[in-house]
Amino acid sequence: LTGQTTHLSSLRSGSLSRGLHVTAARCKNRAARVRVGKGDRPLTYEEALPPHHIAHRKGWLSQHTGNLRGEEGTAERTVEDVFVRRFIFGTFHGCLANELVIKRRGNVLVVCALMLQKLQPQKFYFLIGYSETMLSHLYKCPVKLEVQTLQDKAVYKYL
Amino acid sequence: MSGRYALDSGCVVKVPRALGACSANKTCNIIRSRLPLASSTYFHTATVFSSQPSSITVTKEPDALFQRVSLLVKGHDKSVLDSYELFATMAAKELGIAISKVCELPKDTERFTLLKSVHIFKNHRVQYEMRTHYRFIELSHLTGSTAQVYLEYVQRNLPEGVAMEVTKTAMEKVPDHILKPMWEEDPIDNKLSQG
Repeated sequence: LTGQTTHLSSLRSGSLSRGLHVTAARCKNRAARVRVGKGDRPLTYEEALPPHHIAHRKGWLSQHTGNLRGEEGTAERTVEDVFVRRFIFGTFHGCLANELVIKRRGNVLVVCALMLQKLQPQKFYFLIGYSETMLSHLYKCPVKLEVQTLQDKAVYKYL
Repeated sequence: MSGRYALDSGCVVKVPRALGACSANKTCNIIRSRLPLASSTYFHTATVFSSQPSSITVTKEPDALFQRVSLLVKGHDKSVLDSYELFATMAAKELGIAISKVCELPKDTERFTLLKSVHIFKNHRVQYEMRTHYRFIELSHLTGSTAQVYLEYVQRNLPEGVAMEVTKTAMEKVPDHILKPMWEEDPIDNKLSQG
């Protein structure tokens, strides 16, 4: 969606001629927004609402004190969050129903996840224990994974 | 795919597809989503937050006295701070601590404007902001042990995403050598008054 600014100066050589002005295309916001489609694509509440609704209709997906005025460690928390999300997405491949919610209470990292009932419960337990141990060894802090399972994804809207 | 999902550490209960399924075991926790879904189960994982109660120590030295203990709580969500303020004030009332001030400081907004595009297009920008809400709770005339207990309780139950700053103003006994002014003790000595 890139436009170009062109500016043709009119030639005044006696005959009538017009100038042409073309402005750049308005760059629309595309962050975290799902564009309207045919109506067959199911969306969860989290996906359906655009980011300017955070704190009004949406909550926060990752809760830590790094972004408060006068607090440190913003970048570290963000990088940890990204890693944890990718790690859990990969371990429970295809099983996540919604985005993860990551909370930090003191030293403890609490990861709350909504999963689909795609695997056997024994496999779920193993993967939960595995990810908890791996993450706690990586980040040197107790990591708790709180998992809730659903049959299907919770659909809020079809776009 | 309804499998058998363990709802408790030992027992395995079959969860039927219909809503309203509840196991006989009272300790387990089934959190049902409000949307009309067949069944949702909760995986029981190890408890991390349980802690042993700290032992009570009795010492003969006098307890420190605090004239003022002020807590400044910061957070992104005002409703979370509201509920935390209710919790802290209730805890202080139960412990018999005098609360002198509970107020809400005006919020701080950190805004920045960035270029929307990766390359050129200087006229199209994106603005972000981060809001920090504050709550200020001031307690007066505490003993050291009361302050320690209260702060430990209140800090253990700090919600995630909320930060707290504590300022304690301690009271100390005035040292003996400055209780009385020097000119009263030696009124004849003139050298001291020359500076």
